[in-house]
Amino acid sequence: MTAHLPETKRKYDLTFARWVSRNVHGGDKLNMCMQCGVCSGSCPLGEQMDYGPRRLFMMIRAGMKDEVMKSDTIWNCVACYRSEVRCPRGVPVTHILDSLSVVAVREGYAEAKNAETTRFAKAFWWSAKKFGLTDERLVTALYYFSGGIGEGIRKGMANQKIALRMIGKKRMHVGMPRKIKRRGELKKILAKAVEIENRNDAAAGEEVKS
Amino acid sequence: MSKSYTYYPGCTSRSSSMHLEKSLRAIAPKLGMELNEIEDWNCCGTSVGHIAEGRLPNAALSARNLALAKDRGEDDVVTACAACFIHTHDANEQIREDEGFKADLNEALAEAGQAYDGSLLVRHVCEVMVKDVGVDAIKAQVTNPLTGLKVAGWTGCQTVRPFAATERGGMFDDFDDPKFMRDFIEACGAEAVEFANNTSCCGGSVAVISPQKSLQLMKTILDEAKEREADCVATPCPLCQQNLEMYQDLINKEFGTDFQIPVVFYSQLMAVAFGLNPLTDAALNQQMIPATKLVEMGTK
Ligand code: SF4
Repeated sequence: MTAHLPETKRKYDLTFARWVSRNVHGGDKLNMCMQCGVCSGSCPLGEQMDYGPRRLFMMIRAGMKDEVMKSDTIWNCVACYRSEVRCPRGVPVTHILDSLSVVAVREGYAEAKNAETTRFAKAFWWSAKKFGLTDERLVTALYYFSGGIGEGIRKGMANQKIALRMIGKKRMHVGMPRKIKRRGELKKILAKAVEIENRNDAAAGEEVKS
Repeated sequence: MSKSYTYYPGCTSRSSSMHLEKSLRAIAPKLGMELNEIEDWNCCGTSVGHIAEGRLPNAALSARNLALAKDRGEDDVVTACAACFIHTHDANEQIREDEGFKADLNEALAEAGQAYDGSLLVRHVCEVMVKDVGVDAIKAQVTNPLTGLKVAGWTGCQTVRPFAATERGGMFDDFDDPKFMRDFIEACGAEAVEFANNTSCCGGSVAVISPQKSLQLMKTILDEAKEREADCVATPCPLCQQNLEMYQDLINKEFGTDFQIPVVFYSQLMAVAFGLNPLTDAALNQQMIPATKLVEMGTK
């Protein structure tokens, strides 16, 4: 994909940069960015992104909320942390991208909700919450079918050989899912954490408005 | 003298990287590491949990593990999985640095009558092996040197980034060109070939979720391993091992290559070099691409 600057007729949302600074984990360090480009130059998948991190950070400053939230940059981050450790200004690049993905989903952007990573994350969370553990087999199946039956079958077929070899080497669990013992305890902790997260979100929303 | 550590194995130790777990368990006693599992540990959230439910619920997974670990009474929690390490370590550091976050997590933990104050140190087992055990002690256990085996040491990214060169990460190696894999390989008596892709990323979870995006990344790594005539690639990272091994067929199909390069863990090299059984102790019977030369070097 060729990187392009968004149209000039865009709508600015000038509170966006302030909002990011407060609500995105690590976002308060964004004002340290000096636009040197070390991050984008260090990124293994930079060429496949709409915008590299440097440009994305400039767009946050420019208040281009929609363009940032819809960009595929956040979904192509492989979390190798190379940009983060190399940034001469101590901007936690990976953490910011990571947190932006959470925000994009919570704000309801279709691009974010339908991203393959989000669908995978939902499948993963289901397993973590239900069993306390990742069941790689069930998570993968659930993810494959999250894009519809057709996609599920296509992806499943493409990976059948790999799955069978993994099972053959006893590296994929078959049979009843493994579970932690005190699942009720974990469920309660997670439910409370979700409640607190929502409470905090609502409070932060009020703060930006004021 | 043996030292006792609270140990967090992580989900993949029971499935896709069972061979890391088995070989690590086999070498640990020889290196004086006593690994005591956290009782009833749960998943760490990996690199996607936060996207499903947000940062706090995701960190709550780690907080429960840390609270249970704390109950054991030891100062350190050790893990061998790069993803478990990075997420548990990160959650722990955030609990230490952010009072509000700590209070929120403790409010959630209280639902199960638990609490955590951030006082533990989360460590990667490779850091423990470099700093507590020491390369000399590793060398001292070698009874079956892997003479003539050419190994490409591939550290990957998350084992060393972003924590390895920070004080709380143990200051044990460099972010960009860490040398501990080379030291481990040489301690085993094998030859560590030059490897410019030492910390190149395989695509991580993006490779699992959308393989097509990252096949090129893995191809670059395999290209160099082949060019350096490595008999195998060795890594500390479960996801690196799995991705680079399971996608070789797809890469061959996509790029017309003919890679069949075994990808093993450092712990499997050590198990063979320590004279343990190459198939059962080193768990080389669980490779999808057989590490034939290494198996043959094993003492049966
Ligand atoms: S490396 Fe750091 S300072 Fe440079 S552009 Fe990226 S975030 Fe900004």
